[in-house]
Amino acid sequence: MGNYVDRFNTTDRILHWVVAISFFLLLLSGLGLFAHTFFNYFSLFGNPQQGIMVHKWAGIVFFIFSILLFLRHAAETCRFDADDRRWIVKVGGYLSRKRQEIPQGKFNAGQKLFGIFSGVATLVMGATGLIIWDPTAYLRELTQFALMLHGLFFTLFMVGMVVHIYLATVGNPGTLEGMLWGRVTKGWARKHASKWYQKVVKG
Amino acid sequence: MKRKAFLIDTTLCTACRSCQVSCKQWNKLDAEATVNRGSYENPPDLTPQLYNQIHFIEQDQNNDMRWLFINRRCMHCADAGCVKVCPSAGALYHTKEGLVAYNQDKCIECHYCVNGCPFDVPRYDAKKKVTKCHACIDRVQNGLTPACVKGCPTGTLQFGDRDRLISDAKAAGKKLYGENDLGGLGVMYVLDDEPGTYRLPKNPAIPASIFFWKDVVKPLGILGFWGAIGVAALHYVTVGPKRIEDTDDDQHSKGGE
Repeated sequence: MGNYVDRFNTTDRILHWVVAISFFLLLLSGLGLFAHTFFNYFSLFGNPQQGIMVHKWAGIVFFIFSILLFLRHAAETCRFDADDRRWIVKVGGYLSRKRQEIPQGKFNAGQKLFGIFSGVATLVMGATGLIIWDPTAYLRELTQFALMLHGLFFTLFMVGMVVHIYLATVGNPGTLEGMLWGRVTKGWARKHASKWYQKVVKG
Repeated sequence: MKRKAFLIDTTLCTACRSCQVSCKQWNKLDAEATVNRGSYENPPDLTPQLYNQIHFIEQDQNNDMRWLFINRRCMHCADAGCVKVCPSAGALYHTKEGLVAYNQDKCIECHYCVNGCPFDVPRYDAKKKVTKCHACIDRVQNGLTPACVKGCPTGTLQFGDRDRLISDAKAAGKKLYGENDLGGLGVMYVLDDEPGTYRLPKNPAIPASIFFWKDVVKPLGILGFWGAIGVAALHYVTVGPKRIEDTDDDQHSKGGE
């Protein structure tokens, strides 16, 4: 492998991309329900009724795979040490051009926080989505609250996703390769996840 | 166009239910089988085939029967929860007379309006489309009164310019329900008791969670999306990406394995 080190195996990558694709399906099929401005997105699915149908089934796929993805990495993402706390205080060094060395494990503290948020948000979206699936089957107050929470967590999820996509692509060159082909350069590993890299090197 | 409204003086109602029947006839709504529940009220609630209903309040007061009646229906709010939550523009809308009508062809069957209404009025029919009182907009726009008003023999139901109805009622010394709530209701009542007795909310308002969803979360969502993209772009051109510098690889050649 020479200059490369393995980061994500095939199962990791398939889980991640099923989650990503179903997220975008949910986004496109749900925008029309979010605001009048986006109503025309339903035409991507033929008509609004079909769009809503796609939204419901994509929701099931997203829920299952997102939870699986979370559980797969839960041991890593839910453990924070002193370096992680330093990373959070310095916002990963993203606010300055100065080079900062904050040793990180396989995932940095920001990725861990996003992973935990995704897990929680998936549960909230799933539970509220199930209620809105048939909006007249429950107490009115419950459905109204579910509609509000579903919208609120959609907003948070989408903002988180914009940040996630930026940092995983142009913001940190070389990161996307790990999720596309499973490997990153050794230089990347030393810069972004030095503690993880040391462990990999030592075997 | 001046805003039109109903004024329903419950003190004049004899519960003859002409309004229910006239509405069903004009709107070609099918009859439904009901059961005797030991009450004169029938049917017991609004249905997809019943746009307005006489609700009976039957109270035992010292062995005396106290009977109150109220015509329940869509309240045609100016600030209407159903219009607020409906994702499909034009499925539920305000007519130029200020009444809340709907177009079933545009209804996308999401049922949101059922939950957005402060008065629990909209119903869904067998075709899974929204139904409710639309104030016989087809009649009104041709200079006629709604069918229920036409059928009312006691003058309980009135329909006309909203301002006129209010000033006339006030001149007669009557207290109105719904004059200012939700931007002013399109159905105002003269009541013989507290609103709660008639199962009407004392201060009707759009449910708090519906307000928060549509007036806070929705604009924040749109702002959040463009804001996050803006912040990312700003970061890219100011701080810039975290490139892997040559020194990273130098370390590698020095360190060996």
